[in-house]
Amino acid sequence: MGGTLRDAAAVAGVGYTPFSKDSGVSTTTLACEAILAALDDAGLGPEDIDGIATHRVGDSSPPWAVAPALGIEDQGWYLDQFGGGSVSHAVLGQAAMAVAAGVAETVVCYRAINARSEFRMGGQGRPPAGAFDLQYQAPYGLIAPVQHYALLARAHMLAYGTSHEHLGAVAVGQREKAAGNPRALKRDPITMRDYLASRWIAEPFRLLDCCLETDGACALVLTSAERARDLRRPPVNITAAAWGGGHSSYSGAGPGGIGADPTTSAAARLAPRLYAMAGLGPADVDVAELYDCFTWTVLVQLEDYGFCAKGEGGPYAASGALRIGGELPVNTHGGFLSEGYVHGINHVAEAVQQLRGEAGGRQVPGAEVALSTAQPGYVLAGTSALLLTAPR
Amino acid sequence: MTEPAPLRPGTDRDSAAWWELVRRHRLAVQRCTGCALLRFPAREYCPACRSRSWEWRDCAGTGRVAGWTVTHRAFHPAFAGQVPYTVLCVALDDGPGLRCWGRLVGAGPDALAADLPVEAVFTDAEPSLTLVDWRPAAPPH
Ligand SMILES: [Zn+2]
Repeated sequence: MGGTLRDAAAVAGVGYTPFSKDSGVSTTTLACEAILAALDDAGLGPEDIDGIATHRVGDSSPPWAVAPALGIEDQGWYLDQFGGGSVSHAVLGQAAMAVAAGVAETVVCYRAINARSEFRMGGQGRPPAGAFDLQYQAPYGLIAPVQHYALLARAHMLAYGTSHEHLGAVAVGQREKAAGNPRALKRDPITMRDYLASRWIAEPFRLLDCCLETDGACALVLTSAERARDLRRPPVNITAAAWGGGHSSYSGAGPGGIGADPTTSAAARLAPRLYAMAGLGPADVDVAELYDCFTWTVLVQLEDYGFCAKGEGGPYAASGALRIGGELPVNTHGGFLSEGYVHGINHVAEAVQQLRGEAGGRQVPGAEVALSTAQPGYVLAGTSALLLTAPR
Repeated sequence: MTEPAPLRPGTDRDSAAWWELVRRHRLAVQRCTGCALLRFPAREYCPACRSRSWEWRDCAGTGRVAGWTVTHRAFHPAFAGQVPYTVLCVALDDGPGLRCWGRLVGAGPDALAADLPVEAVFTDAEPSLTLVDWRPAAPPH
């Protein structure tokens, strides 16, 4: 398994803009700033790019605007993927495929959003385009992502006894890790009492269950693993990439299967493919950056990526296992809940920094294998994920 | 002050007939005439046998609570005067994998529990728009 994709491409550079509640600039400007920072990290320039890739839901600047803004006349291979968090890692995987196939040598992947000051995901009930389920929900006031995930979290609570404190353990634990991340929007510690006192948004979710609507951008430079060895920074290999897993929202229920059970995500189908491509298993993962639009998605992914048994995500998170120095450090940057929400790519960027050993006060000692994941398949179909490995 | 207009369903060519049935106070799902699978939401192909031959099957109008959320923040002006409100996910009694949504009526969220039996209530929101809501089922005699 794995063909020519396994370890064919590597991340050679990482770049960010500052994260804020109001960038004051366009998403094109954010994209350019993050891309230039990532190229600088790699020791490259815009003239070296022959591929550019992003995803968006009508909320960002596309490759055909960003490449000319950087003076790139021929952007080469490009990808302007429709979709939100569920495809965040698919963009990286497809860029790795383009490199593995020799279609492009150096691809820059980016995500730039003004998710607080311009396009708020749940704002005014703006539906995800193409979400045909919404006609059966919107008239009842079921319109924002936080409500959809709240329903899923409630179903998980009913089925497995997942508690408010289990959700709170994710929020409190990630804030603790964000204290070691200078980029994080929220670094002040919170206690379980603070969590339980925070106001309801959509029960069972409180304010502190929700990610931080963020203005910002992040970019990664991918090139062949071979070329990456000659560049400025130690290369981090994309050892496996996987897509799909199927529709797992409530109405996706077909004749049985995962779609019929809302407490299991698309990641349960995706994980075996991902691990098989890498020749690795959950026990090999040293650090995991798990998509955390809401606290609960961390719990379901702990189960569906095989780190604990089905239904045990809550107790596992509450056990302290997700801390730096714990059995499975998770969302070492603080995640979307505390660092900021760049819709998935900032999880990959954090994984790269962990594997380079440059994460400072939040470094997982000796981290060699990282899992980074996309939104686990709810709202829109399917998910995506990457396994990355440290320079050797 | 007038109430803001409700959000319209935004029907499509697969679902328009289903909404028209609801307007006439009928809750129905599709039944595949090839393999008898019941399916919802409405779509043309059977996902099990790929037949395009199907008929409407009236539902019992009963189900079990599979999840709920109490919304405390209005995400659209149409709901500004309604928070907090409770939306249910209901597993229909007619067959496995049939789930739909609706407001909880006739009780507060404290009455909810896993698998609580509920029954459909048709709410005429406007002359041309009927919605399906749910209330706790009357206990059997
Ligand atoms: Zn059939």
